[in-house]
Amino acid sequence: MSSSQDPTPSPQGASNPLVATLLTWFVPGAGHLYMGKMRTAIIAFVAIEGLYLAGVMLSKGMFLQILPPEMRGRFAAALTPEAGNLGALLLHVRQYGFGDIVPTAFPSTLHIGVMLTASAGIANLILCSRAHYDARVGGLKEEPSAAPHPGLATLVGWIIPGGGHFLQGRKVRGAVAFALVVLLFAVGCYLADGTNLDRSRHFYYWAGQALLGPVAFIAETLNGHPLMSARPTYEDAGVVLSSVAGMLNVLLLLDVYGFSEARRLGRPLATEAVDPELESGPFDASLR
Amino acid sequence: MNDLAFHIGLFLFSTLVIVAVSCMFTEADDQKAVRLFPRRYLTFVVVTSVVVAVMLVAEHTFAAVS
Repeated sequence: MSSSQDPTPSPQGASNPLVATLLTWFVPGAGHLYMGKMRTAIIAFVAIEGLYLAGVMLSKGMFLQILPPEMRGRFAAALTPEAGNLGALLLHVRQYGFGDIVPTAFPSTLHIGVMLTASAGIANLILCSRAHYDARVGGLKEEPSAAPHPGLATLVGWIIPGGGHFLQGRKVRGAVAFALVVLLFAVGCYLADGTNLDRSRHFYYWAGQALLGPVAFIAETLNGHPLMSARPTYEDAGVVLSSVAGMLNVLLLLDVYGFSEARRLGRPLATEAVDPELESGPFDASLR
Repeated sequence: MNDLAFHIGLFLFSTLVIVAVSCMFTEADDQKAVRLFPRRYLTFVVVTSVVVAVMLVAEHTFAAVS
């Protein structure tokens, strides 16, 4: 996440950030185990795989069976949030796949189950970013009082949009961020009449809005997956906007991560690193 | 006409959110981000409007079914 012009150097003999990230991607906590951080590794593994296991039990491992037959390609699972927890997903596909030829009824707890498996995947991606940071920092001097850990701030930003900014003391930015993405999501839900809040209706768009975190899951639970007799007029627009809201939250998470990283390492932010005499940011030539 | 107004309002709102979040992403300083916003918003709206116009002309010219 550091500036490409001035990358954070890894100290000699430190853990390889790429290896730590890939290990975490396959098995939550494995990257920290590789770095010798046993406690973080165990907590991460138990929390994320516990979340995934609970989701599999509640959904009876049927999240891929939601997909209509024409969408069941070889890489159908690659665009799901569960792909963030790759090892578990590969085991899942091997164990359950797309189900039997004869379709079986979905359990009543399917939707809660898929929320949990998706959450485990996204949480593991955030853990990957934490493992990458921890491996890069290694023996470098940090200033923990300057900002919360980038991984923690990012996780909070996913749980509550704008929450990471709050944690960093950027309260106005956090409030504006929350208002913008949640309002866009709410408008999407209104236009789609709540049909976007159902993974069985919009499998991949649902993945986009899952990036908004528990806000989307709470809205889905409150909406309750009612049967619809007709398609809402603006369903398409609503589904897209709610998914865009989730993806915009990723930009906010990157902002949170970069801010914490720069502050803890005492380095300039990406936009500060550019010579202000020439340009104060990648896109703001108007401020020359 | 109401439908057109609704679509334009929806377009202006969704682009507002997209540009505002992108300003936050590219500029860590709040005041700079606020100063950047109007120009970027205007640019985004104008450029996307041109794209829409081109698409409508292309649709009307090449894909219209009489």
